[in-house]
Amino acid sequence: MFRNNYDNDSVTYSPTGRLFQVEYALEAIKQGSAAVGLVSKSHVVLVALKRNAEELGSYQKKIIKVDDHMGIALAGLAPDARVLSNYLRKQAMSSKMIFNRPLSTSKAVLSIADKAQENTQSYGSRPYGVGLLVAGYDETGAHLYEFQPSGSVLEYFGAAIGARSQAARTYLERNLDIIRESDSVESLIVHGLNALRDTLSQDVELTFKNTSVAVVGKEAEFTTYDDESVQQWLDKLDSVSNARNRGDDDAGDADADADATEAAEGDAEGAGTTESSGDAPATETAPEDRMETDE
Amino acid sequence: MTSIGTGYDLSNSVFSPDGRNFQVEYAMKAVENGGTSIGLKCKDGIVLAVEKIINSKLLVPGKNKRIQTIDRHIGVVYSGLLPDGRHFVNRGRDEAQSFKSIYKTPISVPHLMDRLGIYVQNYTCYNSVRPFGVVSIVGGIDDNGPHLYMIEPSGTCWGYSGAATGKGRQTAKSELEKLNYEELTVREAVKAAAKIIHQAHEDNKDKDYELEISWISLDETKGRHEFIPDDLLEEAKKYAEEEDDEDEDDEEMES
Amino acid sequence: MNHNPLQWGRPSNDTYGQYNHNIANASVREADHQSLDSFPKMNTQQPIITGTSVIALKFKDGIIMAADNLGSYGSLLRFNNIERLIKVGSETIVGVSGDISDLQQIERILDELETTEEVYDNDGGHNLRAPHVHEYLSRVLYNRRSKMNPLWNAIIVGGFNDDKTPFLRYIDLLGVTYGSSTLATGFGSHLAIPLLRQLIPYDVDYVKVTEEEARKAVENSMRVLFYRDARAADKYSVVTIKKSEDDPSSYTFTHEKDLRVQNQSWKFAKDIRGYGSKQQ
Repeated sequence: MFRNNYDNDSVTYSPTGRLFQVEYALEAIKQGSAAVGLVSKSHVVLVALKRNAEELGSYQKKIIKVDDHMGIALAGLAPDARVLSNYLRKQAMSSKMIFNRPLSTSKAVLSIADKAQENTQSYGSRPYGVGLLVAGYDETGAHLYEFQPSGSVLEYFGAAIGARSQAARTYLERNLDIIRESDSVESLIVHGLNALRDTLSQDVELTFKNTSVAVVGKEAEFTTYDDESVQQWLDKLDSVSNARNRGDDDAGDADADADATEAAEGDAEGAGTTESSGDAPATETAPEDRMETDE
Repeated sequence: MTSIGTGYDLSNSVFSPDGRNFQVEYAMKAVENGGTSIGLKCKDGIVLAVEKIINSKLLVPGKNKRIQTIDRHIGVVYSGLLPDGRHFVNRGRDEAQSFKSIYKTPISVPHLMDRLGIYVQNYTCYNSVRPFGVVSIVGGIDDNGPHLYMIEPSGTCWGYSGAATGKGRQTAKSELEKLNYEELTVREAVKAAAKIIHQAHEDNKDKDYELEISWISLDETKGRHEFIPDDLLEEAKKYAEEEDDEDEDDEEMES
Repeated sequence: MNHNPLQWGRPSNDTYGQYNHNIANASVREADHQSLDSFPKMNTQQPIITGTSVIALKFKDGIIMAADNLGSYGSLLRFNNIERLIKVGSETIVGVSGDISDLQQIERILDELETTEEVYDNDGGHNLRAPHVHEYLSRVLYNRRSKMNPLWNAIIVGGFNDDKTPFLRYIDLLGVTYGSSTLATGFGSHLAIPLLRQLIPYDVDYVKVTEEEARKAVENSMRVLFYRDARAADKYSVVTIKKSEDDPSSYTFTHEKDLRVQNQSWKFAKDIRGYGSKQQ
């Protein structure tokens, strides 16, 4: 049943000092659809790809607001993310109650990091099975952190988690300088969506149903854009499907290495193929909805 | 005797027939591949330094600090499973705070290490927990002057003049042995630490690293644990890399 | 409100009749076990060693606060070296009057607060400022009074808001808080506030006040307090926090200790009748 004798629980080291249960928890993140985050000098943007389990089902929420100045995007086990976001909300409220000030982003992520670490050092509990991107704007500016079930949190200028997220990271790395210097929220969102688009599998494209966008920053409360309201951002893209999968030479070559590393991950992903069937009607209805919102 | 396949290495708190606790040894393995951490005890204070491995160029430079503070006068740096290190530090903070709430005076470094040693050792005694996957170097100044300790997953805790752990520990140790700790000042030690971390990085050269240095000294920081000022860090970095060039020049001349 | 520390937190006699001090002295000696169990739990009923007024006011680019160094044991001037102005973080001052042992407890609470907020994992920014310290203390004091176990103090917190305007706010043992450009605790609210209000009639007027004027008002108030408050001493400390002249984004914090009330005149003493050994 087990791959080896050292991966039954998170209180057993392998002979090389690894904790397999924790590593497997990191794999659970890759089972989830992708989420991308990126930071300019004044704003943070989160974008995420939503999935529905079946055609008639609703899409799983990927972005959760924590406070007016903070929110998270998740990949992996959504219920675990709800537990963690509830914890963060409590911390945020305590900070307001006790100190009359908003919770700092760094304090917030460290609090869940320490919570997650406990689950990796004692028998009878499992590590969290979710990765988070935590976006916050506080007195020291805009911040983006990646949280992992191992209890590690690191601050990034740009980060991506979930299925085929390496492609998004490659995009972010390549455009890092432009992203850092972008002075409009719009361009930041477009870069985020471009990165997210690179994680799409062949028969999926970004639609207003499967895309979530969130922004927080200077003089801007944490705001999420879903369904009809996200269309305005999709309209800014030159394409809503993955350039590499359409055989676009421009992006295709450089991403070849990313494809290779992600190939195994992509195969393992069962949900990736089932969710696409629901997307076709969605794109057809899009123009009508747009007209409604324009009125 | 080999550990694998005997079954004695599958659970914490179990002795093998020859009296070893393999899970503790495996925890040490987790440490041995981490970025190098060092600590120096000088005549007037403590210097801690770490080689922070940079795994992505998307990481924010200068953030994600690795050196932490237990109490105003005590600093820690560790190698291994970093979340375990945070757990260790949080416990240290609780101990320091509880000591202060009872005795109304800051905890002394040896006493803190005593308490932390007990705590870490406890994680080797039960099969419901695992040992800490970190080796921590703890330095501080109290009424009896500077102290430097290194604590291992087994709970073993020794005092040091120069301590090193992590991937480049062998290189670092042999360099640390060359210093004269009776005469060394923290200001000199900052440069030495930068150089040692730079040399220890040779063992891990395929990855970039960021240097982090902190110090505690009555003269320089009023006995508080603080990161060294930016200009001093830059100076130390420059010194470490200059030395590097000279070494290369020497080698060229020799060949 | 009656500003004698011994009367703080008590219902006013005019409304509720004489306070029953027997509550504090109730004996459990002759109680049997049964009635002992039903005997109410008792906490602090009165302060023991007390510090008198703290006074503070805002001026154009900062705040100034003063408190004397006396610790009284009833009417005995028991200690003359009590520092009642506590620095928290780099730009906040907490002035405490009332029970001195509770002051020392507050000092430890604030030290722990400073450690967790400023020392642990603080990578620049996120500093503890006066509004945060004030909110925190108000939670502590309100919590304690809600447990019927108050910290017997009246406190003034001085420093700066997030927008760098001066901050001054009061908290007492009941958890009551209010802010003003001139603040005082205890007897100071009777004797010093009118003097300070001459300088700052309305709260917004502090912007017209220079540091020198504020300083003069504080020195004058401390002198009047020493004259008329029998629990006041002539040795006191003053803290001034103001925006630095060369760099307005940082603050200069000065804590002067062992100051003396200057220009005392006791000429009026000879006219006082009804006190002293000789009846005139």
